Amino acid sequence: MSGRNPTYTNPEPCKHLADYKLKYGFSGYNSLQKSLNTNPNGRTAMNRSQSNIPRCSFCSAHQGRLYFCLICSSVSCCLVPDSNHALLHSQTEIGHEIAVDMERAELFCCVCCDQVYDPDFDKAVMFKKILEMPRNNNGAEVCKEKCNKRRKVIPKSLKDYMNVNDLVLKMGREPNSCFPWGLRGLSNLGNTCFMNSVLQALLHAPPLRNYFLTDRHRCRTSRKSLLDKPCLRCDINDIFSAVYSGVPSPFSPARFLYSWWRHSPNLASYEQQDAHEFFISMLDQIHEKEEQTRSPLKDNSDCQCIAHMVFSGVLRSDVTCTTCGFTSTTYDPCVDIPLDLDPSDHFSKNVTGKSTNPSEEEDISTLGGCLDLFTRPEKLDSDLKLYCQQCQVRRDFVKQMSIRRLPLVLCFHIKRFEHSPIRKMSKKIDRFLQFPFTFDMTPYLSSSIVRNRFENRIFAFEGDESDISTEFEVFAVVTHSGKLESGHYVTYLRLRNQWYKCDDAWITQVSDRVVRASQGYLIYYVQKMP
Amino acid sequence: MSAPNDDNASAHSQLSSHFFAGLLDSIIVDVASECHRIARLGLDRNLEEEEEELRLSTQARVMVADPSNSGEANSKYVVDIFGQTHPAIANEIFDCMNCGRAIMAGRFAPHLEKCMGKGRKARLKTTRSSTAAQNRYSRSSSVSAYSPYSNSHSVNQAVNGTPGVTGEDYTECTFEET
Repeated sequence: MSGRNPTYTNPEPCKHLADYKLKYGFSGYNSLQKSLNTNPNGRTAMNRSQSNIPRCSFCSAHQGRLYFCLICSSVSCCLVPDSNHALLHSQTEIGHEIAVDMERAELFCCVCCDQVYDPDFDKAVMFKKILEMPRNNNGAEVCKEKCNKRRKVIPKSLKDYMNVNDLVLKMGREPNSCFPWGLRGLSNLGNTCFMNSVLQALLHAPPLRNYFLTDRHRCRTSRKSLLDKPCLRCDINDIFSAVYSGVPSPFSPARFLYSWWRHSPNLASYEQQDAHEFFISMLDQIHEKEEQTRSPLKDNSDCQCIAHMVFSGVLRSDVTCTTCGFTSTTYDPCVDIPLDLDPSDHFSKNVTGKSTNPSEEEDISTLGGCLDLFTRPEKLDSDLKLYCQQCQVRRDFVKQMSIRRLPLVLCFHIKRFEHSPIRKMSKKIDRFLQFPFTFDMTPYLSSSIVRNRFENRIFAFEGDESDISTEFEVFAVVTHSGKLESGHYVTYLRLRNQWYKCDDAWITQVSDRVVRASQGYLIYYVQKMP
Repeated sequence: MSAPNDDNASAHSQLSSHFFAGLLDSIIVDVASECHRIARLGLDRNLEEEEEELRLSTQARVMVADPSNSGEANSKYVVDIFGQTHPAIANEIFDCMNCGRAIMAGRFAPHLEKCMGKGRKARLKTTRSSTAAQNRYSRSSSVSAYSPYSNSHSVNQAVNGTPGVTGEDYTECTFEET
């Protein structure tokens, strides 16, 4: 009934657990179900009777770890090294080896003196939870038979765009230098480095590059005269052709600038602009053009235009009542992930194993740290209590973001430009951000975040199965140096495992460390193909 | 400060320490249990890879900061990978799509801004004699693109009929500086 769960491994049971399962099957788990209780935080424990405190049958201790025997229901304590009555119990009663931690609803092997795991036990716990939960399952969509209909399959055409091999054949000629295809400077037309830097990144985004270089854009715009707006996609197509032509002298994207200004009049001015704003504007323009030729779709997440097929992902937002656990979930499409550079982000460790993080000593921000911050449960302002459907009153809520669907190309937008409407000033945050060259997005997926909310129980949560791999590789870094008002954008491109610096018209080779030490503003990762 | 009070105080503090210790232990075991589960189920992140990336990054910053290592000269004066050098201001010359004049690449954006009538400076200039100019050109609005006026003017007028661009822009052709 469950889909595949690639994110975790089913642990091997110890000999004692295996023996227990053979002998007793699920009977112990099922009879335990009625004694389990879940609090609004998602933690499960055995019921605490108001009148009867559980005490160790050997020493009457009521503190520390208490274990409930699955076979005879007796309680023993485990306060190693002082007393290990759980072990004693297993020695006095032969075969009574498996018990349950009363405070945490975890299986314990008294002989191995270790916590053990069984998917069937977790399933039993989850079923009890689901029975107790309000209608909406506190945000956990559990996998039922028909969960496949929600699964988004990558269209075959898009998979083709990831395959570079036939592209080389189509181009039919060898590059006339030892450098890879597509390296060409872009002339600065007057404060246009913000545009050049993003263009360089997009020119090398594999699916986008393959789309334009294989002539997928069939222009349906009939330009009745020169007076009509030029087709922006045609102009983008022209840039691709020019940059991949093999000509080494810098290219002036003048026609494209003119085209873009005609399509986005509010951004048309001779001044330094934000590269991210340009990126969004470009995607919007490519999308809009597509919408005119096809019927408009309801939401961007299913949009078939090349911009959205490549960059669009889906973000999930869960808002949970802190009193009853009722969760309301919304999904929103996104073309990039905005990340705040919080100086104290290394303090926001959740318990996903970041125990001895070396960056702690140095106090540097990392991409993983920023994503932890992004997906951290955030208590909403107490002054703005929201209405809870279940409690029927206004309560405090907690909000948590996660990534429901990853795009093919992931763009991280590091929010370095801070605008304070109160003080009417803007400033730039120069703080260094460490970013890895390969990156696994698994911990930030909705399935991981939601699973974590449910004690990481072994259970099929929706969103586990996916066609997209979670491993990503960096291919372009747009960096900004200088001040807010007067700065310069430069892009680093990674081609054939070598980094190139694209500084307007100047293309130079640089080492890995220059890129690692640079100040990333827009960092582009592409999904690693198996 | 009598003796019985002292005893009470220490008994109190002992009791509260005892409870606190119990609570603390419980929390520690909570965290340990979670981490244990995460580790056993393989949910923990690949720490070795992360540490390696972090180490490479720290190393990189140290080496880049060291001036003796810097091969990164001011790139405006270096030779690119194809062996070319370029002037600080791009000097390729091409025709403006809007007015047809020959413009130098590095000065294209400021030219285009005035040419298309965008930007603050352009708009300020038009207010000077926009009324007079509008009167002069109002007759021309009904004329086709290829009017008897000089080429650059006519193209500019027709082209600027896009939404959001006002009639003041018609004046740009006459007042535009080279």
